Parts: sequence; C-alpha cells; structure tokens
Amino acid sequence: MATPSPKHIEAPDSRSVRIVWRDGHESLYGNQYLRLSCPCAACVNEWTGERTIRESDVPMEIRPVSWHLVGNYALSVGFSDGHDTGIYSFEFLRDHCPCPSCHPKTR
Amino acid sequence: MSQEKDQEIGQMVMKALGRVIEPDFKKDLVTLKMIEDLSVKDGNVTFTVILTTPACPLKEEIKKACMEALAPIAGIRSVDIHMTSRTTGGGAREGKAEIEGVKNVIAVSSGKGGVGKSTTAVNLAIALTELGAKVGILDSDVYGPNIPMMLGINALPKQVNNRWFPPKAYGIPVMSMAFMAPPGAPLIWRGPMLHGIITQFVRDVEWGELDYLVVDMPPGTGDAQLSLAQLVPVTGAIIVTTPQEVALSDSRRGLAMFQKVNVPILGIVENMSSFHCPHCHHETPIFSQGGGEKAAAELKVPFLGRIPIDLSIRQAGDEGRPIGIAQPESPLAEAYLKIAGNIASRISVLNSEFTPITLGTLA
Repeated sequence: MATPSPKHIEAPDSRSVRIVWRDGHESLYGNQYLRLSCPCAACVNEWTGERTIRESDVPMEIRPVSWHLVGNYALSVGFSDGHDTGIYSFEFLRDHCPCPSCHPKTR
Repeated sequence: MSQEKDQEIGQMVMKALGRVIEPDFKKDLVTLKMIEDLSVKDGNVTFTVILTTPACPLKEEIKKACMEALAPIAGIRSVDIHMTSRTTGGGAREGKAEIEGVKNVIAVSSGKGGVGKSTTAVNLAIALTELGAKVGILDSDVYGPNIPMMLGINALPKQVNNRWFPPKAYGIPVMSMAFMAPPGAPLIWRGPMLHGIITQFVRDVEWGELDYLVVDMPPGTGDAQLSLAQLVPVTGAIIVTTPQEVALSDSRRGLAMFQKVNVPILGIVENMSSFHCPHCHHETPIFSQGGGEKAAAELKVPFLGRIPIDLSIRQAGDEGRPIGIAQPESPLAEAYLKIAGNIASRISVLNSEFTPITLGTLA
C-alpha cells in the first residue's frame, strides 16, 4: 500500500492547519489538536506510549510559527509555545485526520 | 529549393516526430518537448533530441525511430539528428536540503551485509559515467566504508573555507566515512555523530555539477540507515540482494524502510547470480537462482538485472580498478551498463511524474 502523500499544506487561518492530499482527501486539524497529538518523545512516553502532555498544558490560542518538510515523509512543526521537536509523518497525520469519515467517533 | 518548400517540410517533420513514441514515457517526442533547433535548408533537415538523461539506454532506438518516421516525407535530402541531454531532477528536492549541484541521488542499499552492495554501487557509478553522465559517490557505509579502496583512492578530501573538496577517481568525486577515521581504527559512530557527519556531507561538500550521486548505504535496516534515508535527499533507492530465499525477507525489510520515509524504490539488483566455471563452463547457482526476480515480483518493484559471481569483479575491486575500467568490454561490464541504463530511465520517469508538496507560509 502506498503511503499517503500531501499535495498542499497550509494554515488557512490562525486556528487550523489544512492538508490537501494527493488522493483528493482534505484534512483540517485544529492547532490545539495538532499540538496535543505531538508524537515526539517529550510528549509521549516512549516505553508505555502514554501521552504525557495534558490538554491544560496547551493554550487555546496556540499556533504553528515555523514548519518545514522532513524528507519525503513528514512535517516538522514549531509551535508558539516554543515546542518544536514534533515530527509528524504523513502516515501519522493521515491516521489522525479528525474528519467524520476518517474518525466517526472523535469529533 | 524554395523557402516555402523548406517550411512545408519542417511542418511535416514535426508532425512525423509527433508520432514517435518515447518508450519510457509512452508519449510522443513533440508532446514531451524533446525536439529543439529544427531547421530545414534546401531539404537538409537538422534537429536536436533532448533526452532526460545522458545515460539513456534508448538513445539509438529513439534516433532510429526518428529516421524511420521521416523516411516517407518527400523532398528531404538529408537528416542530421543531434542527441543531447538535460538531466531532470526533482524527486530529491522535496523537503530536504538540496545538495548543491546534484540533480539526483541514488541510494544503494541491502537488507543485510555481504551481498556486494558497495561493489554494485561502485560499478553502477562507473557504468553511469560510461553512459555519459556525471556521477559522484557518497560512501556512507558506517560499518565498513571501503569505496575509496575499491577505486584506488589514497588522497583525502581537501578543506578550504569550510568547503570539502572530495578526491576523484576515474572522474568520480568520492566522499567516504573512511576519510573521517584513521585506517584500522574502529568505526563507532553514534547517532548524533553520524547525523553531524552526514549533514556535513550533504551541505559542505563541493560535488560540482552531478547528474547522479550514488550513495552507498550501510547494510541493514537499522537506525543508521533510517537517519541516512531521512537526511540525504534521495531520489530513489535500489536494493541489492543475493538470489537465495532469505533475500526476499531482507529485501522486504529494505523496501518497508524506504516506504516509511517515502523514498521511491527504483528496483532490485540480483548480485552473485551464478558462477560460470572458467574451466568446464558449467554454471553453478551457488546462492540459488531467481530470488531477486521473485522478490521484485512479490514486492511489486522493478527487477533491474542480475550480476553473475565472477572472480574478476572482486579482483578488480581489490586492485582499485573496477571491472568497468579494467575490462570495459567484458560481459560483466555490459551487465552493469544495462542496469545503469534501467536506473537512469526509471529516474527520468519518476522525475516526470513528480510534483512537489507545496507548503503555505505562516503568518
């Protein structure tokens, strides 16, 4: 199976990040949701997989202030709280697409 | 002959070339914008065909097809076709720091050690050079960097103003992990050190203008390999394997690793295919047969070709004169040329299909 690949990544407003995928799917991630999903070792316990970052740690108005593509496979995001160690692989981002057809149970 | 007549011939030539199909891209030469500088003077036709790689294995085939397409046009006295190339790049650029002057990066990898990965990397680099491309080698094998030895390089890179100038052999600039440690010293690169050195290789080396940079990867599919695949802007990877059954499982690991980091697989090369006894001419498949082809079929990636076991390949490597240099007319050199041509074609096609990810600006 081919790994999902984005065509376009943008911040349409100050609250969210949008990815248009090559297969035509569109994902809209709230900034806070994106920050809370951060897969880096500081936010997830590497042994247990337990998420160590809490919702209360993240301000509502958090937003990405810098980003760059990592190789052919991921997006690295620096947030306004100074956290910039998260590397979001495209596979991870697609798996965490919050839209109703991808995740009927969450939001 | 009148100017009008020449003009008319010119139009007919373009129309005819519009029916010549490029076998790799499966489109015609005019649509692909491969025809330039068409001129017709007194019925003498000249034009240039721009190929996407100097290592195009179809050069002669395309030229012949053009000649045949023009044959029925009345009024043509002579046809002179120049074949030249402009290597396309693209795949390598996405997201990663581009390597200055380098159009395409080919990673040569293997699921396990001892399959002849470095030998294959060196000989493919030589073969691509023979086909007319400008090629460099980045020896990133952290465990046993021996490309300089295989190419007979004794010099070290020169450092001027924080830029590294790699030593060359047979016109090929070479950077190697071997330059970073005294001979005989154990090579213990830990993650961050490796990261630093590879970043330097990518950023601070004066490669010059290269069509292809061949990267000899460390064998296996561990941490070092993954970092490399992430740090180096790889256009595509080839997997070298031996023909036995375990090759399949190892190749699968290699494939999965590159898929993880979205690096396209150019295909599988089967090395040490079989042994032709020079005395009795009996063929012995020491490491079995057909494993590479089977792996390629099962993993749905192209099979690029096979290289037989031959003493002269090893000897040539040990002497620092790879087989393509020592015996350019040998069937072995031919086998490498064929695979190199296949790789060049695959890269051209990949680059033509490639569209970059666009990243919006942040307020």
